[in-house]
Amino acid sequence: MTDAIVVVEDDPSMRRFLRTTLTAHGFRVVEASTIAEGRRAVTTAAPVLVVLDLTLPDGDGVALVRELRTWSRTPVVVISARDREADKIEALDAGADDYVTKPFGVGELLARIRVALRHARAEGGAAGDPIVTAGPICLDHGRHQVTVDGAAVHLTPIEFALLALLMRHAGKVLTHRQLLREVWGPGAVEHVQYLRVHMAALRRKLERDPARPHWLLTEPGVGYRLRDPDPGT
Amino acid sequence: MDVPPSDRIIVQPATAADDLDDEPVVHAALILIGGVRIIVALALGEPFGAEVTVAGLLLLLGLAGAVRRGLRPRVVPAAIVVVRPMPRWWGYATAVAVIALTTAIGLVIARQLALADLGMLYLPAVMLASLAGRGPALLAATLAVAAFDFCFVPPRFTFVVNDTRHGVTFAAMFLSGLAISTLTERLRRQQALAQQAALRAHTEEVRSTLLSGVSHDLRTPLAVITGAATTLRDRGVEVPATTRDELLDTIVAEADRLERMLRNLLGLTRVESGLAPAREWVPVEELVGGALTRLDHVIGDRVVELEVPAELSAPVDPILFEQVLINLVENALKHGAPPLTIRAARERDQVVIEVADRGAGLPPGDEERVFEKFFRASSAPGAGLGLALVRAIVEAHGGQVTAATRAGGGTCVRIALTATAAPTPTAPGEPS
Repeated sequence: MTDAIVVVEDDPSMRRFLRTTLTAHGFRVVEASTIAEGRRAVTTAAPVLVVLDLTLPDGDGVALVRELRTWSRTPVVVISARDREADKIEALDAGADDYVTKPFGVGELLARIRVALRHARAEGGAAGDPIVTAGPICLDHGRHQVTVDGAAVHLTPIEFALLALLMRHAGKVLTHRQLLREVWGPGAVEHVQYLRVHMAALRRKLERDPARPHWLLTEPGVGYRLRDPDPGT
Repeated sequence: MDVPPSDRIIVQPATAADDLDDEPVVHAALILIGGVRIIVALALGEPFGAEVTVAGLLLLLGLAGAVRRGLRPRVVPAAIVVVRPMPRWWGYATAVAVIALTTAIGLVIARQLALADLGMLYLPAVMLASLAGRGPALLAATLAVAAFDFCFVPPRFTFVVNDTRHGVTFAAMFLSGLAISTLTERLRRQQALAQQAALRAHTEEVRSTLLSGVSHDLRTPLAVITGAATTLRDRGVEVPATTRDELLDTIVAEADRLERMLRNLLGLTRVESGLAPAREWVPVEELVGGALTRLDHVIGDRVVELEVPAELSAPVDPILFEQVLINLVENALKHGAPPLTIRAARERDQVVIEVADRGAGLPPGDEERVFEKFFRASSAPGAGLGLALVRAIVEAHGGQVTAATRAGGGTCVRIALTATAAPTPTAPGEPS
């Protein structure tokens, strides 16, 4: 049986567009237009992924993310309007995997879905590879070493932890809060300033042109993302 | 439009501030001079001569002025602004303090005043406490009755009351305290509602002005999209492949344009309706990098020269300011010619960011007008909102934006932001 994706979206045109696109890419689409329907669809259809609009007639999509995360690790990709950064952050911190901003191109949506599915599969598998790469950047956990185009780069422990985290979640957005909690600890989640300073340092060490970053991307107001090094699969 | 999160809205107390000239200082001085003279007279047991009478008149004059101003609703927001952010206990502490102070004054001048007059002393104290809310007002009224009974009602320094008439005095004191606090509370609530309504009306006005101005420009890309899409649907296979690709490209490009216009429109509405930018120290390099990444496909292989010091940060709202840079770069690409230059620097207590191109520059006299809404410098498509949004955002940050023709040709848009204290770039747990 083909993999199912649950689409929770109240706008019929948007739903039709998502159904056509996702079906054309080999998924079975189960549609829902409210949180209640979405909840039912997720429990009955056993989807590999959920595409979720945040503004729904019977409430906030974030509530569904929270509820889902109490019993399931099914990846969730959120779709939301341009000016709702706060909602996106809330959804991501509640356990959503990624987001696309309306209006979005098909390519962007499929890329997010691909990354989310890949990470979901990897989580179930064996321990991660001790050596991870993203383009010219190579991080060796065993030797605690980072190279760019084969040349060793000296990173401070914080920078190393930050890069390792971003590379483990390559292609996926990580919120300021998630990065701060993982690298600095739960006491530092409000100190976005630390993060900005260390991201700037990382860019200077890893990017060819730090003011036009190719790998360490900023998601303004939300967080950071390491560009997916493997967009084809 | 979505309602922005309320924690990012500030209700500007500007109307209150506009009206607060030096008058209150005069009132305060009158109250102080008159009051001190009378208290001294009472404490020393002086007979009430002409001098003390003048002092009394001054006191009355000052009080009357202060009360008249204080009751005018325009000043109340100032009181709200002062009182609201205080922690809860502060109001109760104030209540206890004013009653204690009043009792102390009463004890000093008890010999000169009749019992009923002493009771009156507590009214202004309760009134003052009621500014902090209903709870502190009730506490103050209760304390006032208790202190009055204990310190002044015979037998003094006991809570015993021999004369039932004093019960009436207590009730009057308590009820007037209650009444004052209710009135103050109601006034404050009405004021808050009025302010919200005013803000809403202002937002509504900004929105409708913008919408009416822009609806024509919104229709143009929509017409092109509809035209291209219906051609593809109705003529289907008849359309040659090259024409089909052209039509599809047109649809995508016009949809992009529509989205850009909506984004600027939304941004303008939000900024102009009094949304306070969230100030954070953001590396300018990150702002520029974010904007350029977003515009990657528009820039293509056109040259962008960057002079952005790595350690330079600016106190800005990261989302709004990325939009500023996106609009400036888009604008330079659309109306100017490459190479583009983005330069940032600290100049004394300012952070300066410049986006410049090597195009035709601005017609003389247009340097100011390019920032006006719906002003279009050339026939290139657009709604004339991009630079208007830039100015709105920069001004919301307390900065200035100017445009000028460069020596040697081209336009340079310059943003200057006041940035006095640079942040300390160290974080815990990091050996530097």
